[in-house]
Amino acid sequence: MIRRLVLDVLKPHNPSVVELSEALSHLDGVEGVNVIIYEIDQQVENAKIVIAGSSIDFEGIKKKLEEMGATVHSVDEVAAGKRIVEEVRTPQDRSARM
Amino acid sequence: MKFLEKLRRYIRVSGIAPISRRYFIMNAFDGATTILGIVIGAYVAEITSELLVIWSGLGATLAMGLSGFVGAYMTEEAEREKKLRTLEKSMLTELTNSVVGRASRFASLWAGIVDGVSPAIAAVTCLAPLFLSSVGVFSTDFAIQLSVAIALSIMFLLGVFLGRISKRNIFFHGAKMFFVGLIITIVFLALKVL
Repeated sequence: MIRRLVLDVLKPHNPSVVELSEALSHLDGVEGVNVIIYEIDQQVENAKIVIAGSSIDFEGIKKKLEEMGATVHSVDEVAAGKRIVEEVRTPQDRSARM
Repeated sequence: MKFLEKLRRYIRVSGIAPISRRYFIMNAFDGATTILGIVIGAYVAEITSELLVIWSGLGATLAMGLSGFVGAYMTEEAEREKKLRTLEKSMLTELTNSVVGRASRFASLWAGIVDGVSPAIAAVTCLAPLFLSSVGVFSTDFAIQLSVAIALSIMFLLGVFLGRISKRNIFFHGAKMFFVGLIITIVFLALKVL
């Protein structure tokens, strides 16, 4: 049971982010959507999409994105289960950075 | 998704609204001008049968409608196909079955319909007094005068519409379009006098 999904998506300028986020928010199991454009090219734009919900259907999300002309570049974060577990910093992360 | 909602989405995604507005004005103007020419020409030639004018007008309407539909559809389709292929190259994926591909196909068809139907609407409206005259509602002379007045009014209204779009003086734009129709009318009437 997926509760949060963070996707890196490539999309055309149209449909706009407004239409894309609305279309995703109407899917079953989705309670909230956040779309941020972080790069714009002449034909396409890259978006970071954060989806939160009680039971997110990943295949349904992917299908809707493809229907809107977008493609998933990567799945950057998934939170699943009864409660959302946030990313935690560990000593190993610190040593890895050093 | 409801049909109308789908149409609205395709219009938004394809950006066809301003293009179809241009097609509508251009071709409705063509329709009104053509019928004005036919009606005035018939008047100058002293044709007394409304049916002759009506059939000539309907023939021109059908030709304008068909040529408008085919011309606009094929032009839009070719341009949009090229745009879609370029976008597909950037996206590295096929978009034919996505909303982008469907909106692209819809836009070509929509442009064709607007381009084909707009001259027909203007032309049939201008011919309406002659239809009524043929069933005895008006005299032929009055029907011709009314038909010319309707054609000139349509031209004026199209100018007003353009003025509204460009947010400039609507009467000035209306008068500009009206003037074109007036020139045709005056030229033909002058020919009759000569």
